Amino acid sequence: MAPLMVGAFYNPHLGAELARAQGIDHLAMADPPAPTDPHWPAIKARYTLLLHDYLGQLSEPLDERSIARARALAELYRTPWVAEHFQCLHTEDGRYNINYVFPPLYTDEFLRRFVANAKALQARLDQPLVMENIPGFFDVKASQLPEPVWLRRFFDQTGAGFLLDLPHVWLEAHYRGVKPATWLAEFPLEQVVELHVAGVEEDRDLEGPWIAPAEPTDEMLDFTALAVSRCPAAKAVTFDAFAPSLTSDVLFKSVERIREAL
Amino acid sequence: MSDRELHDLVLHALADAPFRASREWRDRALVEPGRLERFARFLARHFYYERIVHFFKYSRALARVTGRCPEAVLKSADFDALLATAVLGSRETARDVAGLAVRHVKEVTPPPPPPPQLPYLNDLLRYEEAMMIAEAGPRMWRDSAHERAAGSREPSAPERVEGTALLDLAYDLPAVLPRLLQSWVEVPQAPAQPVKLLIARSPHGRVTVARADAAVASVVELADGRKTLEQLAREAGLRATDLETTLVGLSDLGAVRFATGS
Repeated sequence: MAPLMVGAFYNPHLGAELARAQGIDHLAMADPPAPTDPHWPAIKARYTLLLHDYLGQLSEPLDERSIARARALAELYRTPWVAEHFQCLHTEDGRYNINYVFPPLYTDEFLRRFVANAKALQARLDQPLVMENIPGFFDVKASQLPEPVWLRRFFDQTGAGFLLDLPHVWLEAHYRGVKPATWLAEFPLEQVVELHVAGVEEDRDLEGPWIAPAEPTDEMLDFTALAVSRCPAAKAVTFDAFAPSLTSDVLFKSVERIREAL
Repeated sequence: MSDRELHDLVLHALADAPFRASREWRDRALVEPGRLERFARFLARHFYYERIVHFFKYSRALARVTGRCPEAVLKSADFDALLATAVLGSRETARDVAGLAVRHVKEVTPPPPPPPQLPYLNDLLRYEEAMMIAEAGPRMWRDSAHERAAGSREPSAPERVEGTALLDLAYDLPAVLPRLLQSWVEVPQAPAQPVKLLIARSPHGRVTVARADAAVASVVELADGRKTLEQLAREAGLRATDLETTLVGLSDLGAVRFATGS
């Protein structure tokens, strides 16, 4: 097994620090670089970059404009893989958009849609596609399959890689009242290419924990070490924080602690 | 009803507080109501945080002078009071939230005069408020064959797109805005030069600002979807070729569209 890369997200407001940082193997790109970003040339020259933008929701086929954009970004970053999410966040008519990752119904119909549209996207990309799990804060009664079963069927039918977001698994376990390790074991870990790790904090609206641009707790780091030991094909672990409020201290300390935990 | 349509109902409920409270939604009993409400409130705060950080970025950059960060309004009782009627992405809610942000930066109602080193603050807040309102509304997420066909029809009566705004300002803001986002010691000043700006949004949601001359302003004000090109040219005092050039530019920005009469 090749050594795991340990990295973070490119946060442009921390561009100067990231351009001269040590101990970071890669940066995930959530947004294209701004034309005025003075640090982008150094960042591009220095790091392995992972395409992790919003390309489109695969409940519908991506249109030509979106595919061309995905291809252009993949080429710009020279990304080893292209990431998208198991999400469906705007209505088909474009009228309602919640502007936040939100999982589809776990049904056969949605599975067919995601498989067909992912295959169509894969055929147009020069890099492998990886797909990230998205947490549900509540169950929708219309869902037919447990999320891990639905994901396994998706990966088996498409050959796509799994981007395993560990705080998402941890949060789902929390809100289901089960142990994170027990819930994790249900997922198709042999398909994992990349893992995300992040902090969680209490949210006033949710009245419970949610993802935050904070350092991962010791419990989350132990959970990471456990997950990595069960993901034989994993190539990278990424500190998943992308926010204007993220400080350089939190980013660098988190990457350092993730590396120590592995 | 397909699973996709059912999922759209869930998205509608998350985005639209009055719908969430309706019998039509509650009778379906798809989701535990308490959980849905908590997540919807979380989404609303996130939705408008992203927009205030983006559209009020110049006010944020001036916070060390004004002492007021516009996004702080999202933690206020006034914003909490809006949540019962908020419809994410609607122009009405965008207007309400942008208005709260403006009042927050001005601190009190009625507002005091701007700080002496910021004589253009009121203009800036009007500009940022207009940008945020213009961005709201349904958007086209993907190109479709139907839309391409509709766009290829012979154009007839130009119509001002809802949300398009003309702003008369006492200060030339475009001359100072980029400098506000760079590092500065002395507050960058805007020339006391009246300008008229056009703010428009493309069908895909991209908001653009352009300086508007008298011809552009009159065409935007007169384009009501009923006047023919000949009537519009006559009332705006333009030659047919000049009108055509102006309309092409306005259409590209998303400021006007063509009623097809079908």
